[in-house]
Amino acid sequence: MRELWSLLKTVISPGTFNQMLRSATPVALAAMGGALTEHAGIMNIGMDGMILLGAFVGVIGSYLTASAGLGVLAAVGLGVLVGLLFALFVVKLRSDEFIIGCALNTFAAGATAYLSRAIFGLSGTSGHHVTSLPRLHLNFLNHIPFLGKILNHHSVFVYVTWILVLLMWLFVYKTPWGFWLRASGEQPETLRTAGVSPERMQWLASILCGVFCGLAGAHLSLGYLNGTFTENMSNSRGFIAFACVIFSAANPSKAYLAALMFGFFDALGYRLQGVISSDLTATIPYLITVVMMVYVVVRSRRRRKKNLRQHESLGNLS
Amino acid sequence: MKRKNISYLISLSVSIVLALAIGALVLALTGYSPARAYGEMLRGTFSNARHIGDTLEYAMVLCICALACIVGAKAGIFNVGGEGQLLLGAIVAAQIGVVLKGHSAWLAIPCAILGAMAMGAAYAFIPGILKVKLKVSEVITTIMLNTVAVYICQYLAKGPWKNPNNNIVAGTGNLPKAFWLGKLTPGSNLSTGIFLSAAVAFFVWYVLKKTAAGYEIRLTGQNPRFAFFAGMKTDRIVLLSMLVSGAMCGLVGMLRVYGAEHIFKSSVSNDYYFEGLMVAMIARYEPVTAIAMSLLFAVLKIGAAGMELNAKVPNQIYLIIQTLVIFFMAAEGGVRSAIARRLEARRKAKEVRANA
Repeated sequence: MRELWSLLKTVISPGTFNQMLRSATPVALAAMGGALTEHAGIMNIGMDGMILLGAFVGVIGSYLTASAGLGVLAAVGLGVLVGLLFALFVVKLRSDEFIIGCALNTFAAGATAYLSRAIFGLSGTSGHHVTSLPRLHLNFLNHIPFLGKILNHHSVFVYVTWILVLLMWLFVYKTPWGFWLRASGEQPETLRTAGVSPERMQWLASILCGVFCGLAGAHLSLGYLNGTFTENMSNSRGFIAFACVIFSAANPSKAYLAALMFGFFDALGYRLQGVISSDLTATIPYLITVVMMVYVVVRSRRRRKKNLRQHESLGNLS
Repeated sequence: MKRKNISYLISLSVSIVLALAIGALVLALTGYSPARAYGEMLRGTFSNARHIGDTLEYAMVLCICALACIVGAKAGIFNVGGEGQLLLGAIVAAQIGVVLKGHSAWLAIPCAILGAMAMGAAYAFIPGILKVKLKVSEVITTIMLNTVAVYICQYLAKGPWKNPNNNIVAGTGNLPKAFWLGKLTPGSNLSTGIFLSAAVAFFVWYVLKKTAAGYEIRLTGQNPRFAFFAGMKTDRIVLLSMLVSGAMCGLVGMLRVYGAEHIFKSSVSNDYYFEGLMVAMIARYEPVTAIAMSLLFAVLKIGAAGMELNAKVPNQIYLIIQTLVIFFMAAEGGVRSAIARRLEARRKAKEVRANA
């Protein structure tokens, strides 16, 4: 009993939730981009590669200019390019989005590893000085007992993400652009009749997705890991972000919550290392996503049946 | 040769030449000599029996993975989860070998083959049944289950099935020497497993191309409604194709363990299935083309390792070249259909004018 209590205490500690926020942020940033392409009707599994490219270019930018801000800017610039490339293939040339996504992931893994070795040598960025993003130390938070420890001393993008999530939610659900974006995935022909090109919205979604994944990558290398690049450092985060998007039905605020859930299980894995293998706790979010997908499909089916039945009974009445 | 095949070959060669040219440019820009690098790449593949053996072994892995993808794709189910099925098949096969230590190889190896294939099929059953019964997208579920499998294997190789005497973080016990598949060339990874693979590859080609079952599979993939109303049990065909696909991936895992690694550790597969998937895509899901493309990609990969050793060029250049080929092939299809659309529009405009 006492053991259980002490276990609970290690789990429900500020450290766990602090780590949760840290782990969730790169995933959440990428998920914002993924939500946009998902709304535009593009299945984007290339986010992992986009993150990796962003992480690498962020480090290179920061290394060359000695400014983390310019590193982030470089990652954003590359994100625009990658988004353009993605849209060129998927929207313009109508290639299979799945093939392009797969190829993009492999290309990013190969290109970043190759260039990293060509520029920094075999040992990567260790031994080279790369300026990292600043951390925010907010004094007033120290006075709040539990929450203060969770929220304070994070890399700046942890806080920026909150603003971006809010903006994305407003963009998707409260602006005409967001409306068109959603229509471009759900009812492209209706949108065309209304005089808006669905392809243009898909281009926009791809480019913004590239930007968000670039930010996610730059945060990963310059913020989360304080200015280091290691090969394959995206570590399937693009797929986790993709899971978040599916899980949340591409709603940005729900996607952020989904990312927090992934972050929580990540943190839990560290905390429970002595009790249960962190490899097993790490599988939980993926399994939940599968279950969630089944639930979503079954629910929409049941709804359709219900609607049908209602229609039938209406028909009987008349 | 049909016209379609010729135009495919032309676009493939153009893509490869362009990819190699861009690869050369990247090499030159990063300060390496392209001529030397490509020369070392060829030498790294063909210079001695060992390298040729390694190349054939990797081509075998790619080929069976690609065929596994094709079996599913032909029936209209896209197995992206081959990596997970491969890893689970590999670890089960490895553990069977460890448990059956001391028994005859004639017992252990068939057991391992069956165990690995059953494991792969069982793991493919989950997304398969979800797709057939509930219409849940198999692409997403298989991607998720891939990661789950990676973690489960990590857990098993670090925990219950770990061999504490080995000096690695995650690895099962060593396979008894009696169970190792015979080497065809000393020092290389090439084992007698390639004969089994060749048989499997032939079987897949034969079933898909020459039998009624293959016809039903293709019809189900192309037009499931028609196949259903023609009286085919489409659900069962899709599910069976998925199971066969999973079993083939499991077999690859077993062959990696028994033929090359002799232990389960993370180097059993390094996203090999995804490379096989790309081979299948470039080959446009045609079995024979996939076999040829596997050889080409294997030459690139093994050659790149030799290139790194002798010319000190990072071997990842092969990934760049390989994905560029895919991008060009994907672009080619799009450019072609865009031109066709434009021609069609022009023809229609002309007709309208002629009628007016």
